[in-house]
Amino acid sequence: MANETVAKVKVDPRDAKLSMAHFFVAFSALALGGLMGLLQTLVRSGKWELPWGIDYYQVLTVHGVLLGLVLTTFFIMGFQYAAVSRTTGGHSNAARRLGWIGFWIMLIGTLMAATMILLKEASVLYTFYAPLKAHWIFYLGLTFVVVGSWIDGAAQIMTYAKWRKNNPGQPSPLLSFMAVINTVMWIVATLGVAATVLFQLLPWSLGLVDTVDVLVSRTLFWYFGHPLVYFWLLPAYMCWYAIIPKIIGGKIFSDSLARLSFILFLLFSIPVGFHHQLTEPGIDPAWKFLQVILTFMVVIPSLMTAFSLFATFERYGRSKGATGLFGWFRVLPWNDARFTVPFIGMAAFIPAGAGGIINASNQMDQVVHNTIWITGHFHLTLATSVVLTFFGISYWLIPHLTGRKLTKAMNKLAIIQAWVWFIGMTFMSGAMHFEGLLGGPRRSAFSTYGGAKQAAEWIPYQVAQAVGGSILFLGIILVLIIFVNLAFFAPKGEEEFPVAEAEDNAEKAPMVFENWKLWLGITAALILFAYTIPFIDIIQNAPPGSKGFQTWNKW
Amino acid sequence: MAKAELKTKQKTVIEDKSSLKGTLASVFFVGAFIIVTWVGVYYLFLERF
Ligand SMILES: [Cu+2]
Repeated sequence: MANETVAKVKVDPRDAKLSMAHFFVAFSALALGGLMGLLQTLVRSGKWELPWGIDYYQVLTVHGVLLGLVLTTFFIMGFQYAAVSRTTGGHSNAARRLGWIGFWIMLIGTLMAATMILLKEASVLYTFYAPLKAHWIFYLGLTFVVVGSWIDGAAQIMTYAKWRKNNPGQPSPLLSFMAVINTVMWIVATLGVAATVLFQLLPWSLGLVDTVDVLVSRTLFWYFGHPLVYFWLLPAYMCWYAIIPKIIGGKIFSDSLARLSFILFLLFSIPVGFHHQLTEPGIDPAWKFLQVILTFMVVIPSLMTAFSLFATFERYGRSKGATGLFGWFRVLPWNDARFTVPFIGMAAFIPAGAGGIINASNQMDQVVHNTIWITGHFHLTLATSVVLTFFGISYWLIPHLTGRKLTKAMNKLAIIQAWVWFIGMTFMSGAMHFEGLLGGPRRSAFSTYGGAKQAAEWIPYQVAQAVGGSILFLGIILVLIIFVNLAFFAPKGEEEFPVAEAEDNAEKAPMVFENWKLWLGITAALILFAYTIPFIDIIQNAPPGSKGFQTWNKW
Repeated sequence: MAKAELKTKQKTVIEDKSSLKGTLASVFFVGAFIIVTWVGVYYLFLERF
């Protein structure tokens, strides 16, 4: 009886299969989406043009949708599904079936959206802002991806709920708790994007209505768009808080601190979307101000995380006899890809987080808004911190799931891959940041802007981005080699799924953290507080709606 | 017994294993980095607007 709920050291092979299915889609998206990224940087260097009538904005849409939406959602769902399986003792048949149904719905939706993009019916970029108008099948495909992810996430929630029922009065396993926080945040956040797609964009693209209220749709999009970035980030935090300590041979600094920071992310990730709309007319500045303050609340759990990670590393280093202020830094296991690859991701989060605070500050947003600085920013957050952590997770999780071993050679290649990524991103993201400060726009193909002097200043930075993009593409080839090796060719064996424990003297996490009524209640209250009045105002004082535009070249 | 213990002059351990001063220095570094970049861009804002 008791055995039933004891965490298994290995992920159940039936659960492993579903996780791997997610990863095949994720890494296919990485391959294709990464190639598109390379093409964009080459076009923007001004030295090269796309052949065969392929359009820059089509390529840009493929890149954003595949990497920002498909790679992330599939990887995260696959990882969290495995983490819940590992720490709760496995999913039930019913939960597993649900997971598969979610997976297939997400995949069908992805294929629907991808087809429309390839047919040049949906070059609306991954943010699909109205009044750019795509084919209705594109929006329906996105709806399938979102609904599929809900069903996929429901499997994790079901298994968590079963564990809680079987272990009354016990705090749930940390990784499962974190996975469920992220899934719950995702479900609450995607309600916004589901609302704009179902009630605005689908009827409009089907021709049932002629016009769309642009501000309403953008507000609903950003209600979803900010927590989207935390949906990407929290799985990386799961690795940093609860897995990395085990890999280095240390302990989690504080289990309760980790849980509290995840709860704060749940509370403060959602009612803050206006910080993406600071320059938009039609929203009362007082409410923008309020949401900026709520945005800055997210600094608290972020710095809690930084503190906790440093403390884990220092405690471990000192237990190994390291002395001095930074002696602990040197004794960390730098030859272990499972540590070093995510560590580079963590380090990248320092400039990434600093940039985020700048973006969210009302005045500074006027300096950087709609410039390629923003693109540089999320290539540090998502495309370095998060993605390198996901790679680092893959290097033990894929062999764990396929019953293989990460060999010494692959471990070495993985570390080289991460450094290649770091160098490529330093060039590309660094140049994007500086070009942005000089006013270089984002989301735009190469142009000399009629020979404008200011635009000429941007071109050297765009060449630097092409250099960085090429190095990054080499990094993508390397990671794909490792992925294929670990999935199909690596020697058979057992690779550990590391799950860290809290320090010996750590107290049991307070049960209040598992009080979902309380946390969902506060989440809902904060959202209603931050959005109700401005949203009513936006609707009541709406300008006439806009007809649709298709600004891109069709086939 | 207790008295004897009090008298022994134990050399204090030079470095406590549970010391977190490196962590403190690190988070101060992160904080300083945030402030410097923030002020840098704020300066640009003042220059331009
Ligand atoms: Cu945001």
